[in-house]
Amino acid sequence: MVMLVDDNIIDLTISSKLIQFSKLFDEIIVFQSGDEALNYIKTNLKQPNLLPRFILLDIQMPEMDGFEFLNYYKKLPTSFTDKCQIAMLSSTLDFGDINKAEANHYVVKLLRKPLSTTELQKLL
Amino acid sequence: MKNSSVRVLYIDDEENNLHAFKAGFRRQYEIYTANSAAEGLKLLQSIDIHVIIADQKMPNTTGVEFFQSISETYPDPCKILLTGYTDIEALTNAINHGDVYRYIQKPWQDLDLSNTIKNAYDAYKAKVDLRNKIAELEKTNDELNRFIYSISHELRAPLVSVIGIVELVKMEGLFNSSGEYWPLIEICSNKLDYYIQKTLQYYKNNKNVADHIQIDFKRLVDDLVEIYAYSDRNTNFTVNVNQPSVFYGDLFRIEVILGNLISNAIKYQKEQELDKKVNIDVNVNDNNVEISISDNGIGILNEHLEKIFTQFFKSKAQEGSGLGLFIVKEALNKINGRIKVSSHINFGTTFKITIPNVK
Repeated sequence: MVMLVDDNIIDLTISSKLIQFSKLFDEIIVFQSGDEALNYIKTNLKQPNLLPRFILLDIQMPEMDGFEFLNYYKKLPTSFTDKCQIAMLSSTLDFGDINKAEANHYVVKLLRKPLSTTELQKLL
Repeated sequence: MKNSSVRVLYIDDEENNLHAFKAGFRRQYEIYTANSAAEGLKLLQSIDIHVIIADQKMPNTTGVEFFQSISETYPDPCKILLTGYTDIEALTNAINHGDVYRYIQKPWQDLDLSNTIKNAYDAYKAKVDLRNKIAELEKTNDELNRFIYSISHELRAPLVSVIGIVELVKMEGLFNSSGEYWPLIEICSNKLDYYIQKTLQYYKNNKNVADHIQIDFKRLVDDLVEIYAYSDRNTNFTVNVNQPSVFYGDLFRIEVILGNLISNAIKYQKEQELDKKVNIDVNVNDNNVEISISDNGIGILNEHLEKIFTQFFKSKAQEGSGLGLFIVKEALNKINGRIKVSSHINFGTTFKITIPNVK
């Protein structure tokens, strides 16, 4: 299962459609804010079959941005975080953001929008 | 007519002179007097003085010594030296060390001194105005740059969505379903994205911060070829990297420079050419890196060679923003690099760049 977190509903639709076509994941869950995504994870911690094994996280979001999400994420139990990978997804060309994202222990890569499913596949 | 906004400080150990000065000029200017350099400094510390007149011959501190002592703490007020007799040494010192605006002989002529004060104030005002203007311009420039940055970011986000939708149309097998419309949308979106990316590169190059980090040229060139060859799989790349030395440099600018040159080498190929080639040679030593990028593309007209690095220059026959090579040149200037170009029309172009190793 893959979890998409992005405040932009259009990008959320595009990314999930692209992933559907790629058939890389059998299930896709989408959230429009980091808060909702974290709540979902917390309430389902005891049901591993409802938890994602991969998260695609947008950087620029109002209220809680992608980096803030990561700060909360690292407080989650390792039983979950050890089995889950995160890639950040952004239209940024900012090297500062790229370095910051890839320096984070939990982030495997920063992917550029639009999502390239071949790039995504390389990470799995 | 009293110009009360001009504040004049007069320092002299002879009380009579101070009185005479005050009597002569208090209608025109706001006058402060002090009978020693130490007293004068006290006044300077509490009042925003525009013009300072100091007598040269004073016990303890001479006029020139006083001016020298305040040249760093109070650089703005205009300084006038007053002396009773022609003292060549004082004069030389005043000019060489004291940042003195004028030299006036005692006894002064009221009209002469009045004019001198007036001119000194104008000079003071010009100096302060210029500094304020520069600060204002720097601020505006900074704001403009930040505006360019944020607008490019804001513009790019929805554009990237459009590019994503075109991608989906392809996956749905609808790309050729509406005649040429989808391919045209794709071309336009990519072009717009290209302009936005160049604008962002230009903005970032304008910032002065240089981050010096270790650079592995083999990896860098391979990555860039991968990114730019993505749009054109028909070009054959030969990459030779010879890097026995560790290289430190400004990764962002070097990436911008090489990226633009590699993308140009791909873009300006001959359409009918069956064997499209780009050669990239990199030689690193302790002092610098020399990079040569050559293609067998359309080449550049001799008369255009001088203009290719200027902003918005583009040849009539070719599309492009006219920004790529301009940004290359600007980025090289910031990191003390050099670029040379040679070209034969219809045979190809070679760019050679040298960038210092700052390790």
